[in-house]
Amino acid sequence: MKRVFVLLLAASSTAYAAETTVLPAGTFALDVSYLHSTINKRWDGRRNARSLIDDIPRYEPGGGLQGILSANPTALYQGILFQVLYGITDWLTFAIYAPLIQQATVETNFAWQPGDFQSQLGRPYSEDDFWAWAGSLGQPRPPSRWVGNRSTFADIILGLRALVPELWLTKKLGLKVAGTLQVALPTGRPPDPEEVVAAGTTAFDLHSYGDVELHASWDRPFLVDSYGVARLNLGGDFYFSWFRPKTLPTPTGRKNPLLLTYAPYVGASYVQDPGDWFGSTLSVEASPFLGPTFATFVSGRSLERARSFPPLLTVLVSYSYVMVGQSRWYSDSAIWNYDKEKLWQPGDKNIVRFGATLSFLRLGVPVQLYAQYRVQDIIPGRWTRSSNVLTGGVRVIAKFW
Amino acid sequence: MVGVLLRRLSTLAALLCVCVSACLPTQPPPRREIIHLHGNAYERGKQHGEKMKSKIHSFYTTLLTASLFPYLGREQPVIASLLNEYQGEQYQNGRFAYQLLLESAKNIEKSLNKNQRDELRGISDGSGLSYDEVLVLNTFVDSVLAVRGIALAIRLSRAPQLTRLEFAGAATDGVDNDGDSMIDEPGEGILDPFLADGAANAVEVPLNTRIKVTLKDPEGIDGPSLRLTLNGVLYTEKTPGLTLESPTPDTLVATLTPVSPLEAGATFTLVVTAGDKLEVTQPPPAHLSFMRDEELLFTTRGAGLIPSRVRRPALLDGRTRPPPIAFALTGASSSSGPLLAHHFALLDANTAHKHTLVTVHHPDDGSPAYATVGWAGVAYGLVGMSERGVGYACNPSDTLDNSVVGSVLDQVADLSKAKLTAKGVPIGFAGRRVLETSPDTLAAVQLMKGLTHVYGWNCVVSDSKGVMRSIEVDSDVFKSGDAVFTVAPADVDATGTRLASVTDDDLIVGSGYRLNTNDVITLNLAGQRVVPQKIWSTFFYRSRRVVDSVARRIAEGPMDVSAAEALLGDDELVDKSDSMTAAVLELAGKKLHYAIGQVPATSQPFETFDFAAPEPR
Repeated sequence: MKRVFVLLLAASSTAYAAETTVLPAGTFALDVSYLHSTINKRWDGRRNARSLIDDIPRYEPGGGLQGILSANPTALYQGILFQVLYGITDWLTFAIYAPLIQQATVETNFAWQPGDFQSQLGRPYSEDDFWAWAGSLGQPRPPSRWVGNRSTFADIILGLRALVPELWLTKKLGLKVAGTLQVALPTGRPPDPEEVVAAGTTAFDLHSYGDVELHASWDRPFLVDSYGVARLNLGGDFYFSWFRPKTLPTPTGRKNPLLLTYAPYVGASYVQDPGDWFGSTLSVEASPFLGPTFATFVSGRSLERARSFPPLLTVLVSYSYVMVGQSRWYSDSAIWNYDKEKLWQPGDKNIVRFGATLSFLRLGVPVQLYAQYRVQDIIPGRWTRSSNVLTGGVRVIAKFW
Repeated sequence: MVGVLLRRLSTLAALLCVCVSACLPTQPPPRREIIHLHGNAYERGKQHGEKMKSKIHSFYTTLLTASLFPYLGREQPVIASLLNEYQGEQYQNGRFAYQLLLESAKNIEKSLNKNQRDELRGISDGSGLSYDEVLVLNTFVDSVLAVRGIALAIRLSRAPQLTRLEFAGAATDGVDNDGDSMIDEPGEGILDPFLADGAANAVEVPLNTRIKVTLKDPEGIDGPSLRLTLNGVLYTEKTPGLTLESPTPDTLVATLTPVSPLEAGATFTLVVTAGDKLEVTQPPPAHLSFMRDEELLFTTRGAGLIPSRVRRPALLDGRTRPPPIAFALTGASSSSGPLLAHHFALLDANTAHKHTLVTVHHPDDGSPAYATVGWAGVAYGLVGMSERGVGYACNPSDTLDNSVVGSVLDQVADLSKAKLTAKGVPIGFAGRRVLETSPDTLAAVQLMKGLTHVYGWNCVVSDSKGVMRSIEVDSDVFKSGDAVFTVAPADVDATGTRLASVTDDDLIVGSGYRLNTNDVITLNLAGQRVVPQKIWSTFFYRSRRVVDSVARRIAEGPMDVSAAEALLGDDELVDKSDSMTAAVLELAGKKLHYAIGQVPATSQPFETFDFAAPEPR
């Protein structure tokens, strides 16, 4: 018998952002969260923080160094992540993640270091001098602030997670094991190649997930009470992220002749083959506070059932080490390829995540609120960009029939 | 069973390969390439084009399309206002610079021999760059230098002029201050009119002298922009010791009274510069018209030198950059046999160094192999040597006696139809002919004398026997009858001072003439003053200074290959922005030591090409 939009009990596992969480058959989890992602640095090969883009030395033909144009850009992505998860069976869950970028903002923070003395000017070029000079060559001054990607989807992810049946060994060790396959649909948009300042929304641009990911995960609950609620969970995840090579149009210099005239020697298009990732995560979740528990309609008026619901407060800390492969560019120009590739060499990310979830199921409200901060600034990486993401969301557990 | 195991192992190996490949960091493309070319001229060109295809396209785009063309395009409004032809349709929409250079290239092409044209066609066929583009790439240096020379001379003619220089007290100090063997003759210590010169402007001046500099400009002199720098000490409008007066609106007289007496027996450089009062807004950025840095040179009482023997001290003021320099050594000056060293700097623009290469030609006509140090897509280098042991190196030498001025002269009757068109043999192709045909230095000199040159250059040619000559060329558009001036180590000027050497065993060549110093007579052409190199070239003083720096080092004793390499990398010789190539030719040893691929070129160790070594497969 179909029951329309009747909120119902959820499995206790949904309390965790744990690595093996699946939904009970027929159960939906509807999740909406706000993302606030900033990025203002990259790590070089010695784990030193650097500006996202290299300095641009500018030369006047025969006149020596005009100066060095440096930028210390800060990019801010603001978006909403819609997630729908559905328990196909008690061990198989399907998920759609749809990140909708509300807008991306890039503050360029240009700076100028004067170069050689220019005898015809009687001074070295100032930044204004340079842009006036560049303007006379048809090169406009880039904006100091760029806003774009309004209401633009990033690559949408489809995922399937299967809980591995308990085997003798996993039972003995108290482990839950799951495998996840996720595939990104190419709904994101690469940055406009003709713009000096722009940001894209593809998986490579966000550098937060791959086009195809394969995860093997485990959870080990501890301090499990008689209702099946664990006060502590240790989780782990090993995964491989594959990025598909993409053919992209080469900047022609139509808008920025001085800075972006590449097509005549790079070719009309080029292939970008991002480096794939091997990642591993170790997470610890604790529930210091179970909270008051009531028999409500959510638990079918059963206090015993309500006590199997997630604790009121769960906190999480996790660490991920992600090994990133060399990204490759393929074009007609080995020099241009290298200029790109040198910034995307084999390296790693060190991601620390802090989170907290408030679950109101025990109180009779089938809603969970959560917040997470995913930070790459704490432990320096190598040849990767350091993004920090603040997420706040609400999750509703529902069964519609 | 074994088969299954092997299959699994090979799958594992394939996975590992994928992983390892992804884990291997990217490698920069080679910047110090050496290519060997065989066959006839076309075949060698084609091999060059095929081997360097990617870099040829990249070099053409980054240096010309995205840098030089738009840069020259800024001059179109000014040039078109004088020469109406450039208002035509074919020069519009950003095509001005390309068309201008292509027309010169087509004109220059007529002076290239069949082999050279065949080679360019081969480069085009091999690389996919059009023949016209290859032609422009191979001729633009000379053409652009000629156009730039005209533009620079015009610009400087509108800037303040240093018209008078006076060393107070020199006329009554009881010594000869100008090297004319007369003491305190009327006007001694006063240069009026002031004419730039490579020699010292005064010698043995009193220690308490005051230096009076007169500047003139119809727009007036901008006082705040005036800078006088005496051996590194800057004097400006508000500095104690400097007084300014304007007897007329177009004149400024600056009197420098050093705060303490000058050091005895010392050499001083006084750098004078100023702008006028009219702000020039086109092309941007807005600026005053600035004179070049006039580097006045003098000694104080006790130095004991005549003006022509005063060497310019180093000037590390951050305002000047060393120009290209070359020197040849032999006999007592070299412990490695005849050497020719060259550091070329002009137009790296953050790209040329990524496209450098050594090209070794192995012609199929039985003539000896030769090598040049140059760039992808360019058939020549500005330094090279043959298996016979003949080497050359060339530096630009600003002159208005150039073929583009000649083209205006030819059309001066109707400037509305006149164009700026170069003609003659680019210096790099002249160098190639030296390597191809000259058995020794003197034959190379004869060859150079037989060619018409596009622009002014100073070359040094030397051979395995140590015979060396400096060859100064211009286009002789004023028909003085001589376009090539040759200097040998023993050659001296009217005062008995060697023109370009320290001893009989060396020759130093900068970027200014030492013999052809009156390259043009001063005249008015189409309303514009045409003046000799020393009056307007921004290379002039810099060149003298760097030549003197090398001379000081040569005077210290013999050099070997390593010492020559080290000298080329010395701060006084290195243009840190536009250094392009450096080479030391070991002419008897048949070895070419080269430093390329970096800015400055000498920031990495030299590598060696040995003609005797087997060609790598």
